[in-house]
Amino acid sequence: MRDPLRKRLLRELREDWSKYLAIFLIFLLSIAFVSGFLVADGSMIAAYNGSFEKYRIEDGHFITRNRLNLQQKRALEKSGVSLTDLFFADLPVAENESTVRVYANRSEVDLACLMEGRLASVPGEIAIDRMYADNNGIGVGDVLTVGGTPMTVVGKVALPDYSALFENNADSMFDAVRFCVGVVSRAQFDAFPANKITWSYAWSYPDAPSTEAEERERADEFLKDFFAAGGLEEWVPRYANQAITFTGDDLGGDRAMMLVLLYMIIAIVAFIFGITVENTIVKEAAVIGTLRASGYTRRELILHYLTLPALITLAAAMLGNLLGYTVLKNVCVSMYYGSYSLPTYVTVWSGEAFVLTTLIPGALVLVISWLLLQRKLRLSPLKFLRRDLSKRRSRRAVRLSPALPFITRFRLRIIFQNLGSYLILFAGILFADLLLMFGLGLPVTLDHFQKNLETGKLSEYQYILKVPVEAMNEEEKLKSMVSFLWYSHEVETETPGAEKFSAYSLNTLGNEGRQEEVMFYGVEDGSAYVDVKMAPGDFMISRSMADKYRRGAGDTFTFTEPYEDRTYTFTITGISDYSGAVAVFMPRSDLNRVFDLGSSYFSGYFSDQPITDIDEKYIGTVIDLESLSKISRQLDVSMGSMMGLVNGFAIIIYFVVIYVLSKMIIEKNAQSISMVKILGYTNAEIARLYLLSTTIAAVVSMLAALPIVGAALREIFHAMLMWRMTGWMYLYIGKREILTILLLGLLTYLAVAALEMRRIRRIPMDQALKNVE
Amino acid sequence: MFVTLNHICKSYGSGDSRVDVLRGIDLSIEKGEFCVLLGPSGSGKSTLLNIVGGIDTADSGEICIGSDSIRGMSERKLTDYRRRHLGYVFQMYNLIPNLTVRENIEVGAYLADRPLPVEELLHTLGLWDHRDKRPNQLSGGQQQRTAIGRAIVKNPDILLCDEPTGALDYATSKEILKLIATVNETYGNTVLMVTHNDAIKGMADRVVKLRDGAVRSDRLNERKLTVEELEW
Repeated sequence: MRDPLRKRLLRELREDWSKYLAIFLIFLLSIAFVSGFLVADGSMIAAYNGSFEKYRIEDGHFITRNRLNLQQKRALEKSGVSLTDLFFADLPVAENESTVRVYANRSEVDLACLMEGRLASVPGEIAIDRMYADNNGIGVGDVLTVGGTPMTVVGKVALPDYSALFENNADSMFDAVRFCVGVVSRAQFDAFPANKITWSYAWSYPDAPSTEAEERERADEFLKDFFAAGGLEEWVPRYANQAITFTGDDLGGDRAMMLVLLYMIIAIVAFIFGITVENTIVKEAAVIGTLRASGYTRRELILHYLTLPALITLAAAMLGNLLGYTVLKNVCVSMYYGSYSLPTYVTVWSGEAFVLTTLIPGALVLVISWLLLQRKLRLSPLKFLRRDLSKRRSRRAVRLSPALPFITRFRLRIIFQNLGSYLILFAGILFADLLLMFGLGLPVTLDHFQKNLETGKLSEYQYILKVPVEAMNEEEKLKSMVSFLWYSHEVETETPGAEKFSAYSLNTLGNEGRQEEVMFYGVEDGSAYVDVKMAPGDFMISRSMADKYRRGAGDTFTFTEPYEDRTYTFTITGISDYSGAVAVFMPRSDLNRVFDLGSSYFSGYFSDQPITDIDEKYIGTVIDLESLSKISRQLDVSMGSMMGLVNGFAIIIYFVVIYVLSKMIIEKNAQSISMVKILGYTNAEIARLYLLSTTIAAVVSMLAALPIVGAALREIFHAMLMWRMTGWMYLYIGKREILTILLLGLLTYLAVAALEMRRIRRIPMDQALKNVE
Repeated sequence: MFVTLNHICKSYGSGDSRVDVLRGIDLSIEKGEFCVLLGPSGSGKSTLLNIVGGIDTADSGEICIGSDSIRGMSERKLTDYRRRHLGYVFQMYNLIPNLTVRENIEVGAYLADRPLPVEELLHTLGLWDHRDKRPNQLSGGQQQRTAIGRAIVKNPDILLCDEPTGALDYATSKEILKLIATVNETYGNTVLMVTHNDAIKGMADRVVKLRDGAVRSDRLNERKLTVEELEW
C-alpha cells in the first residue's frame, strides 16, 4: 500500500502556497541566472579560446618609425617568424569626438569576424567594431566622417586582436566608447596620407610556443634581432598585449563570485526550509506522536517532511535551468558583448553548469533539511504526544526583570523564541544589503571617481614623450647617443607653464594582486603641478596607491622591471593627495639617478595648456581627463546596466526572506494569538506584541548589517581591483546610499508587515478552542 | 438577572448536512452565581459558552449581560466586551508557551484597568515558586492554575470555564475546582462552567442540564456541597 501521508503533500502545498511560491521564485531566479551565466561564460570562453586559431591571432606586433623595406623584412624573418603588414591610421571621428584605428581588410592574421552587414569593398565604406557601434548608437548604413572623409558603415566586426578595446597597451582600462577599430578596403587605406600611417607589423611563429615561458624567450630573442634592424617604436608580444589577453583573463573570473552568491542564497533558503519544517513539526506534534506510537519509523517521517522541499527545489532547478539556458543565457551573453568585442559564439551546453546549479543546490537543501529533521524527530513519541518538543526540559526561561514593562518582556520572549529565524533573517538581510550596496554604490563610486579626477588632476595635460627605441639601444652606443641628442633637441617647448618631469615605469611584483605598471614621476623641485614638498631621498606614493596596496610612510615597496629579474625596493616617505592614478613621486634628480637616465633626462611635461610646438611623433601619450577616466567610463558601460538587475534581485531576496520568516513566526504563534484574541486583545495590540518583535529584529538586522556589509564590500571591491584590474578607485558609499538601502529595506518590510497584519486579523478565535482533542 | 439568554439558536452546515446545535435556549444567571452547564458530548454546552463569551455568534436569540445586549455587536465591541467583562479557562490551558508563569498571568493583567496584584495572586494560586518557569516545565494542574490566574487577574465579571478539569486527574481536578470556588466566593465573579462530570453539579448554585441543544432542566441547588464533599 502506498504511503497515505503522501496525500497531505498537495494539500499542504495548496494551503501554504504563498510561502512555497516565494521560496520557489527565489530558487528559480537564482538558479536561472547562475545557470544562464555559466552557460554564457563557458560559451564565450570557448569562442575566445577558439578565436586564436580560427581568426589566426598574431603572436605579437611591433611598430617601426619608418616602413620596412622588403630586405629588412626578409632579414627579420630569418629569425624564424613570418611578418604581415598590419598598418593602421588613427583617425578622428567627427560625429562623436572619438578615434577610430583604421586597418585595411585583413587576410592573413587577426582576421575580422563579421557580426553584421558586410566588409568594406570599395572606398568610402568602413566596417567598425560592433561594441563601439552599439555604445554609440551607430548602425549599418550610417555615415561617419573618419579623418575628414565621409564613410558609410557597411558592417560591424570584431577584430580578435582588439577583443578589449585598449587604445594603448599601457592604458589601465580599455575604452569601447571613445575608441574603435575599423577595417576599410585596401584602396581606401592606400588613399590615406603616408604621414597618418603607423607602420605596424604582426609576427607569427610557424610552430606555436607551447608554454608562456617559451613564448617570452622567443619574443626576447626576436627583440634582439630588432635592435639590429633599428627604428623600432613599439614592440608588443601577444602575452603582453592587453587588447588580446584582458578578455581571456576576465572571462571566467566572475564565475567563482556567481557560484558563491548562488550558494549563499541556497544556504539561506535551505535554512528557511529547515525552519519551515521545524514549525510544521511543532504544529503537528500530536500527529507525529500518534504516527510514531502507531509504528511509523523516524525515517518514514523524515522522508515525508523532506518531500516538499525536495520537490520545490527540483521543480525550481529544472525550470531554472530551462530559463537559464534559453532566456537568461542571452541576457548574460549580451552583458559580455557589452564589455568585450567578442566574435560570434556557439552555445556550449555545460554538464558542469547543471551539476553546479542543480545537483549541488538540491543536495545542499536536502542535507540541511535532513539534518534539522533528524535532530527534531529524535524525540520520543511520548514527548510528541505531550507536545513537549524541548530537548532540555530543565532549561528555565531566561529571567527578565518584572521591573521591565510587560509588553517589553513579551516582545523579548518572542525574540528569544524566534532567535533561529531572526538569525536567518539577518543572514538574508546581510546578503540582500551586499547586493544593494554594490548596486547602488557602484554608479556613485564611478561618479565620485570622475569628480575627483576633475578636481584633483595634476595638470590639464601630461605629455609623455616617446623616446625612439633606437636611442636606447645599448649595443650601438654611439648611434644611440646621436639619436638621443637629436630627440632632446626636438622636444623642447616654449609653451608657458610647461614643466618637465621624468617618468619611469616599473611593474609591481604581482604577488599581492594583478601585476600592474606604476608610473614614477621625477618632479622638479618646487613643482607648480605636484603639490608635495620633496627633499632628496623622498619617495612619495599617490593616495590611490596607498589605498590599493595598503601602504603608508615607513613601509617598503618592491617593484620589478618589466620582463626582467631586476627589482627595486623603496621605503615610502609620504603619501601625496593625488588619487587620479597609482603613481610614485620622487625628486627628478633622484629618479634620473636611480634609473641611470642621466642628470638632464626628462620624459614629459605637465602643462595646463596644449603643447603644439613638439612634433607629434615624439609624443607617446597625452594623459588628460578623458584618458584618466577610461576606467570609470568602461565600468559604467560594462556593469552600469546590470545594477538595476542586481538591485531588483536584492529587493526580491529582502521580500522573500522577511515574508517567509515573519509568516512563519505568526503561524507558529497562531494558537497563542487566537487565545489572546479570546482574552480581549485587539488586532492592533496583537500586532504590537507579535509583529513589532519581528519589526525590531528586522530593523536591528538592517542597521547591524550595514557596517558589516560596508566592510565586506570594501574588501571584495579591493580584492576585485587588486586581482582583476589595474588602477584604483575608492569605493564610495555615501549617506544617501545608506539611507536608500535602509529605506528600501523598510519599505519592503512595511509591505510584508501589511500582509502579516492581515494574517493576524484572519487568525480565528476558535483555533485556540480546536486545540481541545 | 445578570446574564440573560433568550431563545438562542445555532446551527452548522446547510441542507441535508445541517446540524442544529442549539435549539432555542432560555437561561438566566444571577450576578455572582456559580452556574454549571452539564451535558453529554454534542449537547451544545461548549457552543453555548462560546456564544456567551462572544467568540461565536448565535443565529438568533438575545444575549444580555446586565443591560447590554451583545447580539449584533461589531468585532471591535465584542473584543472590548471580552476585555472588560470576561475571563476564560479552557480544558487545554492554552498558555503562551514562550512566556513564564508570571508573564502568562500578566497577559490577563495587561487588559484590566485595575488588575489584582499579580504577586499576591501567584501566592494564592500556589505558583510563587514556579513563577519563572515556562508552561512546559509545569504539571497539568500547575498549568491550569496559571490559566485560572490569567483569567481572574483582571477580576472579570464573568468567568467562563470550558471543562477546566477535563485533562486532569482526580486530585488535581478537585484542587482546581476548589480554586474556582474560592475565586467565586472571594471576588464575587459570576462563574459559568461547562462540564460533563455530573459530580461537579453539587458545588454549583445553579445547574443547567443540556441535551441535543435544548435545556432539559434548570434548577438551583438547595444545599451547595464543598469541593471536598464531591466524589466521582
